[in-house]
Amino acid sequence: MTFPDEVLMAYADDELDAQTRSAVDAAMAADPEIARRIAQHRALRSRVHSAFDRVLEEPVPARLLKVVRSEPAAAHGDNVVPLRRRQARHWAWPQWTAIAATLIVGVIAGRWGLVRIGAGPVVVRSGQVFASGALAAALSDQLTADQPAAAPVRIGVSFRSKSGEYCRTFIVRQTAALSGLACRAADGWQVSVLAGTQSPGGGPGTYRQAASAMPPAVIVAVGDLIAGEPLDAQAEAAARGKHWQH
Amino acid sequence: MDSSGEDLRDHIIELLPRLRRFARSLARNTQDADDLVQITAERALAHAGQLRPDHSVAGWLFGILRNAWIDEGRSRRRRESLLEPEDIAERVGDPAAAADQELLCLQDALSRLPEEQHLAVALVLIEGFSYKEAASIMGVPVGTLTSRLARGREALQSVLSETAGAPS
Repeated sequence: MTFPDEVLMAYADDELDAQTRSAVDAAMAADPEIARRIAQHRALRSRVHSAFDRVLEEPVPARLLKVVRSEPAAAHGDNVVPLRRRQARHWAWPQWTAIAATLIVGVIAGRWGLVRIGAGPVVVRSGQVFASGALAAALSDQLTADQPAAAPVRIGVSFRSKSGEYCRTFIVRQTAALSGLACRAADGWQVSVLAGTQSPGGGPGTYRQAASAMPPAVIVAVGDLIAGEPLDAQAEAAARGKHWQH
Repeated sequence: MDSSGEDLRDHIIELLPRLRRFARSLARNTQDADDLVQITAERALAHAGQLRPDHSVAGWLFGILRNAWIDEGRSRRRRESLLEPEDIAERVGDPAAAADQELLCLQDALSRLPEEQHLAVALVLIEGFSYKEAASIMGVPVGTLTSRLARGREALQSVLSETAGAPS
Protein backbone atom coordinates (compact mmCIF):
# COMPACT_ATOMS: atom_id res chain seq x y z
CA MET A 1 0.00 0.00 0.00
CA THR A 2 1.30 3.45 -0.82
CA PHE A 3 0.52 6.76 0.84
CA PRO A 4 0.95 10.28 -0.42
CA ASP A 5 3.78 12.11 1.27
CA GLU A 6 1.31 14.40 3.04
CA VAL A 7 -0.07 11.41 4.93
CA LEU A 8 3.38 10.27 6.01
CA MET A 9 4.17 13.82 7.08
CA ALA A 10 0.95 13.95 9.12
CA TYR A 11 1.91 10.61 10.68
CA ALA A 12 5.26 12.06 11.71
CA ASP A 13 3.49 15.11 13.16
CA ASP A 14 0.99 12.97 15.05
CA GLU A 15 -1.93 14.44 13.13
CA LEU A 16 -3.63 11.33 11.75
CA ASP A 17 -6.88 9.85 12.95
CA ALA A 18 -6.57 6.45 14.58
CA GLN A 19 -7.75 4.52 11.54
CA THR A 20 -5.31 6.04 9.04
CA ARG A 21 -2.60 5.78 11.62
CA SER A 22 -2.99 2.04 11.99
CA ALA A 23 -3.09 1.65 8.21
CA VAL A 24 0.26 3.45 8.04
CA ASP A 25 1.59 1.33 10.89
CA ALA A 26 0.70 -1.82 9.00
CA ALA A 27 2.20 -0.55 5.75
CA MET A 28 5.34 0.55 7.53
CA ALA A 29 5.91 -2.93 8.91
CA ALA A 30 5.90 -4.29 5.37
CA ASP A 31 7.79 -1.50 3.62
CA PRO A 32 11.00 -0.04 5.06
CA GLU A 33 10.82 2.83 2.55
CA ILE A 34 7.72 4.16 4.33
CA ALA A 35 9.50 3.97 7.67
CA ARG A 36 12.49 5.78 6.18
CA ARG A 37 10.38 8.64 4.86
CA ILE A 38 8.60 9.07 8.18
CA ALA A 39 11.93 9.07 9.98
CA GLN A 40 13.14 11.77 7.59
CA HIS A 41 10.13 13.97 8.39
CA ARG A 42 10.75 13.50 12.08
CA ALA A 43 14.45 14.24 11.78
CA LEU A 44 13.78 17.52 9.95
CA ARG A 45 11.19 18.53 12.51
CA SER A 46 13.47 17.77 15.38
CA ARG A 47 16.46 19.57 13.80
CA VAL A 48 14.50 22.75 13.09
CA HIS A 49 12.81 22.71 16.45
CA SER A 50 15.94 22.24 18.51
CA ALA A 51 17.86 24.93 16.66
CA PHE A 52 15.27 27.53 17.63
CA ASP A 53 14.46 26.18 21.07
CA ARG A 54 17.25 28.03 22.81
CA VAL A 55 15.70 31.38 21.85
CA LEU A 56 13.15 30.59 24.58
CA GLU A 57 15.84 30.76 27.23
CA GLU A 58 17.26 34.10 26.18
CA PRO A 59 16.27 36.92 28.50
CA VAL A 60 13.49 39.00 26.98
CA PRO A 61 14.88 42.44 26.04
CA ALA A 62 13.83 45.20 28.44
CA ARG A 63 12.33 47.28 25.63
CA LEU A 64 9.75 44.58 24.92
CA LEU A 65 8.80 44.29 28.57
CA LYS A 66 8.51 48.05 28.74
CA VAL A 67 6.09 48.12 25.83
CA VAL A 68 3.86 45.48 27.36
CA ARG A 69 3.93 47.16 30.75
CA SER A 70 3.40 50.73 29.66
CA GLU A 71 1.50 50.73 26.39
CA PRO A 72 -2.07 51.81 27.09
CA ALA A 73 -4.52 49.06 26.35
CA ALA A 74 -7.67 49.77 24.41
CA ALA A 75 -10.59 49.49 26.75
CA HIS A 76 -13.65 50.47 24.83
CA GLY A 77 -16.91 48.80 24.11
CA ASP A 78 -18.42 45.66 25.44
CA ASN A 79 -16.16 43.23 23.67
CA VAL A 80 -12.95 44.17 25.43
CA VAL A 81 -10.85 41.51 27.09
CA PRO A 82 -11.62 41.85 30.76
CA LEU A 83 -8.48 43.28 32.30
CA ARG A 84 -9.28 42.02 35.73
CA ARG A 85 -6.92 42.88 38.52
CA ARG A 86 -6.33 46.15 36.74
CA GLN A 87 -6.15 48.06 39.99
CA ALA A 88 -3.76 45.54 41.36
CA ARG A 89 -1.57 45.84 38.28
CA HIS A 90 -0.73 49.48 38.86
CA TRP A 91 0.32 48.48 42.29
CA ALA A 92 2.10 45.35 41.13
CA TRP A 93 4.51 46.61 38.45
CA PRO A 94 6.58 48.91 40.68
CA GLN A 95 6.84 46.04 43.13
CA TRP A 96 8.44 43.94 40.49
CA THR A 97 11.06 46.54 39.81
CA ALA A 98 12.14 46.35 43.45
CA ILE A 99 12.16 42.63 43.38
CA ALA A 100 15.77 41.91 44.31
CA ALA A 101 15.35 41.72 48.03
CA THR A 102 11.89 40.30 48.35
CA LEU A 103 10.13 37.13 47.66
CA ILE A 104 7.32 37.48 45.23
CA VAL A 105 5.07 34.54 44.88
CA GLY A 106 3.66 35.02 41.43
CA VAL A 107 1.13 32.96 39.65
CA ILE A 108 0.49 29.76 41.48
CA ALA A 109 -1.24 27.80 38.80
CA GLY A 110 -1.85 24.21 37.96
CA ARG A 111 -1.84 21.62 40.65
CA TRP A 112 1.21 22.80 42.49
CA GLY A 113 1.08 22.94 46.22
CA LEU A 114 3.74 23.40 48.85
CA VAL A 115 3.05 20.03 50.39
CA ARG A 116 4.17 18.25 47.25
CA ILE A 117 7.65 19.66 47.31
CA GLY A 118 9.01 17.02 49.59
CA ALA A 119 12.34 17.95 51.10
CA GLY A 120 11.79 21.49 49.89
CA PRO A 121 13.72 23.53 47.37
CA VAL A 122 13.65 26.62 49.59
CA VAL A 123 14.18 27.51 53.24
CA VAL A 124 13.52 30.76 55.09
CA ARG A 125 16.40 32.21 57.10
CA SER A 126 16.17 35.59 58.87
CA GLY A 127 13.13 36.45 56.83
CA GLN A 128 14.84 35.75 53.53
CA VAL A 129 14.26 32.88 51.19
CA PHE A 130 17.19 30.70 50.16
CA ALA A 131 17.49 27.73 47.85
CA SER A 132 18.17 24.43 49.54
CA GLY A 133 18.66 20.78 48.74
CA ALA A 134 18.66 19.76 45.09
CA LEU A 135 17.84 23.29 43.96
CA ALA A 136 20.82 24.82 45.78
CA ALA A 137 23.07 22.08 44.43
CA ALA A 138 21.90 22.62 40.87
CA LEU A 139 22.34 26.40 41.14
CA SER A 140 25.90 25.91 42.33
CA ASP A 141 26.99 23.07 40.09
CA GLN A 142 24.88 22.71 36.97
CA LEU A 143 26.06 24.41 33.77
CA THR A 144 23.41 25.32 31.21
CA ALA A 145 25.49 23.85 28.42
CA ASP A 146 25.67 20.47 30.10
CA GLN A 147 22.43 19.54 31.84
CA PRO A 148 21.22 15.96 32.10
CA ALA A 149 17.82 15.70 30.41
CA ALA A 150 16.34 14.02 33.45
CA ALA A 151 17.81 16.39 36.04
CA PRO A 152 15.23 17.42 38.66
CA VAL A 153 16.23 21.07 38.22
CA ARG A 154 16.76 22.81 34.92
CA ILE A 155 18.76 26.04 34.81
CA GLY A 156 17.47 28.52 32.24
CA VAL A 157 19.81 31.47 31.99
CA SER A 158 22.73 32.81 34.05
CA PHE A 159 23.63 36.49 34.20
CA ARG A 160 25.22 39.28 36.25
CA SER A 161 22.76 41.59 37.94
CA LYS A 162 23.09 45.37 37.92
CA SER A 163 24.52 45.16 41.42
CA GLY A 164 27.08 42.57 40.35
CA GLU A 165 25.70 39.31 41.77
CA TYR A 166 25.46 36.19 39.71
CA CYS A 167 21.83 35.22 39.14
CA ARG A 168 20.25 32.18 37.53
CA THR A 169 16.71 31.22 36.55
CA PHE A 170 15.54 27.71 37.33
CA ILE A 171 12.70 25.25 36.95
CA VAL A 172 12.16 22.57 39.58
CA ARG A 173 10.29 19.71 38.01
CA GLN A 174 7.64 18.47 40.37
CA THR A 175 4.10 17.32 39.72
CA ALA A 176 3.81 20.73 38.14
CA ALA A 177 6.87 22.85 37.66
CA LEU A 178 8.04 25.48 40.10
CA SER A 179 10.26 28.13 38.63
CA GLY A 180 12.05 31.22 39.73
CA LEU A 181 15.13 33.35 39.95
CA ALA A 182 17.93 33.15 42.51
CA CYS A 183 20.97 35.37 43.02
CA ARG A 184 24.15 34.43 44.82
CA ALA A 185 24.56 36.09 48.19
CA ALA A 186 27.40 35.52 50.63
CA ASP A 187 25.51 32.83 52.51
CA GLY A 188 23.68 31.03 49.73
CA TRP A 189 21.36 31.38 46.77
CA GLN A 190 18.78 33.97 47.64
CA VAL A 191 15.50 33.34 45.86
CA SER A 192 13.92 36.57 44.65
CA VAL A 193 11.09 35.18 42.53
CA LEU A 194 9.26 31.93 42.92
CA ALA A 195 6.27 31.04 40.80
CA GLY A 196 4.23 28.03 39.88
CA THR A 197 4.30 27.16 36.21
CA GLN A 198 1.25 25.76 34.57
CA SER A 199 1.74 22.08 34.00
CA PRO A 200 2.33 21.12 30.36
CA GLY A 201 -0.35 19.83 28.07
CA GLY A 202 -2.95 22.36 29.16
CA GLY A 203 -4.66 22.40 25.77
CA PRO A 204 -4.27 23.95 22.34
CA GLY A 205 -1.58 26.58 22.17
CA THR A 206 0.46 25.03 24.93
CA TYR A 207 1.14 22.06 22.70
CA ARG A 208 4.71 20.78 22.98
CA GLN A 209 6.11 23.95 24.45
CA ALA A 210 6.19 22.80 28.00
CA ALA A 211 9.68 22.50 29.36
CA SER A 212 11.08 25.98 29.18
CA ALA A 213 8.04 28.15 29.71
CA MET A 214 8.78 30.81 32.32
CA PRO A 215 6.01 32.62 34.17
CA PRO A 216 5.67 36.38 33.59
CA ALA A 217 7.02 37.26 37.05
CA VAL A 218 10.33 35.55 36.22
CA ILE A 219 10.55 37.04 32.73
CA VAL A 220 9.96 40.53 34.11
CA ALA A 221 12.42 40.10 36.99
CA VAL A 222 15.22 39.00 34.65
CA GLY A 223 14.55 41.98 32.38
CA ASP A 224 14.78 44.32 35.35
CA LEU A 225 17.86 42.84 36.95
CA ILE A 226 20.12 41.86 34.10
CA ALA A 227 23.19 43.95 33.31
CA GLY A 228 24.29 43.42 29.71
CA GLU A 229 24.09 40.02 28.07
CA PRO A 230 23.57 36.64 29.75
CA LEU A 231 26.67 34.59 30.51
CA ASP A 232 27.90 32.34 27.70
CA ALA A 233 29.13 28.82 28.41
CA GLN A 234 32.68 29.98 29.10
CA ALA A 235 31.73 32.81 31.44
CA GLU A 236 29.36 30.52 33.26
CA ALA A 237 32.02 27.88 33.84
CA ALA A 238 34.39 30.60 35.06
CA ALA A 239 31.77 31.93 37.48
CA ARG A 240 31.21 28.46 38.86
CA GLY A 241 34.98 28.13 39.25
CA LYS A 242 34.96 31.04 41.69
CA HIS A 243 31.84 29.78 43.45
CA TRP A 244 29.68 32.52 41.98
CA GLN A 245 31.36 35.15 44.15
CA HIS A 246 31.91 38.49 42.48
CA MET B 1 -7.55 27.75 26.03
CA ASP B 2 -10.02 29.87 27.88
CA SER B 3 -8.74 33.40 28.08
CA SER B 4 -11.76 35.36 29.08
CA GLY B 5 -10.92 35.93 32.70
CA GLU B 6 -7.19 36.29 32.35
CA ASP B 7 -5.09 39.32 32.13
CA LEU B 8 -3.87 40.28 28.68
CA ARG B 9 -0.57 41.87 29.72
CA ASP B 10 0.45 38.82 31.74
CA HIS B 11 -0.51 36.66 28.82
CA ILE B 12 1.62 38.65 26.43
CA ILE B 13 4.60 38.61 28.81
CA GLU B 14 4.25 34.88 29.24
CA LEU B 15 4.23 34.42 25.49
CA LEU B 16 7.11 36.83 24.75
CA PRO B 17 9.75 34.07 24.64
CA ARG B 18 7.67 32.12 22.13
CA LEU B 19 6.81 35.19 20.09
CA ARG B 20 10.52 36.02 19.95
CA ARG B 21 11.27 32.50 18.76
CA PHE B 22 8.60 32.72 16.07
CA ALA B 23 9.89 36.12 14.96
CA ARG B 24 13.45 34.78 14.79
CA SER B 25 12.25 32.02 12.50
CA LEU B 26 10.83 34.70 10.19
CA ALA B 27 13.48 37.44 10.36
CA ARG B 28 17.15 36.54 10.44
CA ASN B 29 18.28 39.67 12.20
CA THR B 30 17.59 39.62 15.95
CA GLN B 31 16.79 43.36 16.12
CA ASP B 32 14.33 43.03 13.26
CA ALA B 33 12.76 40.01 14.94
CA ASP B 34 12.35 41.90 18.21
CA ASP B 35 10.87 44.83 16.28
CA LEU B 36 8.20 42.42 15.02
CA VAL B 37 7.48 41.29 18.58
CA GLN B 38 7.26 44.91 19.70
CA ILE B 39 4.80 45.76 16.91
CA THR B 40 2.79 42.68 17.88
CA ALA B 41 2.58 43.73 21.53
CA GLU B 42 1.64 47.30 20.59
CA ARG B 43 -1.05 46.19 18.16
CA ALA B 44 -2.41 43.60 20.58
CA LEU B 45 -2.79 46.17 23.35
CA ALA B 46 -4.24 48.76 20.99
CA HIS B 47 -6.78 46.26 19.65
CA ALA B 48 -7.49 44.31 22.82
CA GLY B 49 -11.18 44.70 22.04
CA GLN B 50 -10.84 42.43 19.03
CA LEU B 51 -9.92 39.42 21.13
CA ARG B 52 -13.04 37.34 21.62
CA PRO B 53 -13.43 35.24 24.73
CA ASP B 54 -13.50 32.08 22.64
CA HIS B 55 -10.20 32.89 20.93
CA SER B 56 -6.89 31.47 22.02
CA VAL B 57 -4.69 34.38 23.09
CA ALA B 58 -1.65 32.60 21.69
CA GLY B 59 -3.31 32.07 18.30
CA TRP B 60 -4.41 35.70 18.21
CA LEU B 61 -0.93 37.04 19.05
CA PHE B 62 0.82 34.75 16.57
CA GLY B 63 -1.67 35.89 13.94
CA ILE B 64 -0.84 39.54 14.66
CA LEU B 65 2.87 38.78 14.38
CA ARG B 66 2.33 36.94 11.13
CA ASN B 67 0.45 39.94 9.70
CA ALA B 68 3.14 42.32 10.93
CA TRP B 69 5.78 40.23 9.20
CA ILE B 70 3.83 40.21 5.97
CA ASP B 71 3.12 43.97 6.17
CA GLU B 72 6.53 45.15 7.20
CA GLY B 73 8.70 42.29 6.13
CA ARG B 74 8.99 42.64 2.43
CA SER B 75 11.25 45.66 2.22
CA ARG B 76 13.27 44.43 5.15
CA ARG B 77 13.85 41.06 3.58
CA ARG B 78 14.90 42.66 0.31
CA ARG B 79 17.48 44.62 2.24
CA GLU B 80 18.56 41.56 4.19
CA SER B 81 19.10 39.48 1.11
CA LEU B 82 21.83 41.90 0.09
CA LEU B 83 23.68 41.39 3.34
CA GLU B 84 25.51 38.34 4.49
CA PRO B 85 25.29 37.47 8.16
CA GLU B 86 28.65 38.87 9.20
CA ASP B 87 28.81 37.63 12.70
CA ILE B 88 29.36 33.96 11.89
CA ALA B 89 32.97 34.34 10.82
CA GLU B 90 33.81 36.60 13.74
CA ARG B 91 32.81 34.05 16.28
CA VAL B 92 34.90 31.04 15.36
CA GLY B 93 36.24 29.50 18.55
CA ASP B 94 33.32 30.68 20.65
CA PRO B 95 31.83 27.61 22.35
CA ALA B 96 28.34 28.84 21.54
CA ALA B 97 29.28 29.35 17.90
CA ALA B 98 28.29 25.87 16.74
CA ALA B 99 24.75 26.32 18.02
CA ASP B 100 24.63 29.84 16.58
CA GLN B 101 25.81 28.56 13.25
CA GLU B 102 23.09 25.91 13.16
CA LEU B 103 20.50 28.57 13.95
CA LEU B 104 21.83 30.91 11.25
CA CYS B 105 21.97 28.06 8.77
CA LEU B 106 18.31 27.25 9.38
CA GLN B 107 17.25 30.89 9.36
CA ASP B 108 18.99 31.27 6.05
CA ALA B 109 17.38 28.13 4.61
CA LEU B 110 13.92 29.21 5.81
CA SER B 111 14.33 32.66 4.30
CA ARG B 112 14.62 31.07 0.86
CA LEU B 113 11.17 29.48 1.07
CA PRO B 114 8.10 31.17 -0.36
CA GLU B 115 6.38 33.25 2.32
CA GLU B 116 3.39 30.96 2.91
CA GLN B 117 5.51 27.80 3.10
CA HIS B 118 7.92 29.56 5.43
CA LEU B 119 5.03 30.44 7.77
CA ALA B 120 3.61 26.92 7.72
CA VAL B 121 6.98 25.42 8.60
CA ALA B 122 7.61 27.97 11.36
CA LEU B 123 4.20 27.53 12.99
CA VAL B 124 4.13 23.74 12.93
CA LEU B 125 7.75 22.59 13.15
CA ILE B 126 9.17 25.36 15.31
CA GLU B 127 6.20 26.53 17.35
CA GLY B 128 4.55 23.13 17.63
CA PHE B 129 1.05 24.31 16.68
CA SER B 130 -1.33 21.64 15.45
CA TYR B 131 -2.36 21.80 11.79
CA LYS B 132 -5.71 23.18 12.85
CA GLU B 133 -4.22 25.92 15.00
CA ALA B 134 -1.65 26.86 12.34
CA ALA B 135 -4.35 26.98 9.67
CA SER B 136 -6.43 29.27 11.82
CA ILE B 137 -3.47 31.60 12.47
CA MET B 138 -2.82 31.77 8.73
CA GLY B 139 -6.50 32.14 7.95
CA VAL B 140 -6.62 29.18 5.55
CA PRO B 141 -8.34 25.77 5.52
CA VAL B 142 -6.42 22.85 7.05
CA GLY B 143 -5.97 21.27 3.60
CA THR B 144 -4.20 24.37 2.33
CA LEU B 145 -1.96 24.47 5.38
CA THR B 146 -1.11 20.79 4.93
CA SER B 147 -0.05 21.19 1.34
CA ARG B 148 2.00 24.33 2.10
CA LEU B 149 3.66 22.51 4.95
CA ALA B 150 4.49 19.50 2.77
CA ARG B 151 5.95 21.69 0.04
CA GLY B 152 7.77 23.83 2.57
CA ARG B 153 9.37 20.81 4.19
CA GLU B 154 10.46 19.43 0.87
CA ALA B 155 11.96 22.77 -0.14
CA LEU B 156 13.68 23.15 3.22
CA GLN B 157 15.12 19.66 3.02
CA SER B 158 16.54 20.35 -0.40
CA VAL B 159 18.01 23.75 0.58
CA LEU B 160 19.65 22.11 3.61
CA SER B 161 21.08 19.27 1.51
CA GLU B 162 22.54 21.82 -0.91
CA THR B 163 24.04 23.83 1.93
CA ALA B 164 25.58 20.73 3.43
CA GLY B 165 27.09 20.03 0.02
CA ALA B 166 26.02 16.42 0.15
CA PRO B 167 22.85 14.57 -0.75
CA SER B 168 20.93 13.47 2.31
